Amino acid sequence: MNWDAFLFGASAALALVGAAFAVGLKNIFHNILGFALALIGVAGLFLTLGSDFLAIVLLLVYVGALGIAMVYAVMLSQPLDTPRAPRSLPKIAGAALLAAVVAMALWLVIRGAHFPPMEGVLEVTPEKMGRRLLSNYVLAFELISILLVIAMMGAVMVARKDRGGTGPAAPKAAP
Amino acid sequence: MIWLHWYLLVALLLFCIGLYGLVQRRSLIGMLIALELMLAAVSLNVVAITSLSGRSSSVGQVVALILIGVAAAEGAIALSLFVAIQREVQSIDVEDLSELKG
Repeated sequence: MNWDAFLFGASAALALVGAAFAVGLKNIFHNILGFALALIGVAGLFLTLGSDFLAIVLLLVYVGALGIAMVYAVMLSQPLDTPRAPRSLPKIAGAALLAAVVAMALWLVIRGAHFPPMEGVLEVTPEKMGRRLLSNYVLAFELISILLVIAMMGAVMVARKDRGGTGPAAPKAAP
Repeated sequence: MIWLHWYLLVALLLFCIGLYGLVQRRSLIGMLIALELMLAAVSLNVVAITSLSGRSSSVGQVVALILIGVAAAEGAIALSLFVAIQREVQSIDVEDLSELKG
């Protein structure tokens, strides 16, 4: 119990500090590093919830793939050292006010909700998870695969340099 | 406060930090980062509630897996759009993307 509490506290602190870095710092590269830190914290929280498989997937997909893709996008887009005009104070205050109001409302909802009695963490091993994914939840599994393939092809199409130039209709248009 | 409340509180804070970032940032990549934080908070909520209730907790994990998959697909599409936008407008600052503003 004590060890669980420590792991929870450390992961939660990591997640929140990383999230603060991810939105608070000026440099976009530091934001991406903070994002990776926050997702490592969330993966730790998943570990305390007994979902090892999900923690590993989160690390691989978010911290591994998405973080690298973001770094690539930053390198392909703006120069990192361009001076930017500072954000006006009313806009920052408005954003903070909105976030605070939403946080208060959600917290009231959480406090008011009646949860069923909690029976403690039920660990789901990766083996059990794999068996479930290929039997009971095979539809979800296949849908994710199709979605990822479509997204990958769409990303290549969108980011290609000569968009619309080499489609099926292109040879007719070309002289 | 029961144990579940701590998880919900962390997810709530993550979600609201993400919301703040989404509203406040002007760089498209910064907004995408904030959006992904919000999605991670949602999946943390789902996993915490289903896992701590002790019954059929693999349902929550499958839901969280779908969330992660959708977030990855969305991130890939969004990043490629940013690269395309950068090529057209030479900027990924949202305040420069005002072509449709009358």
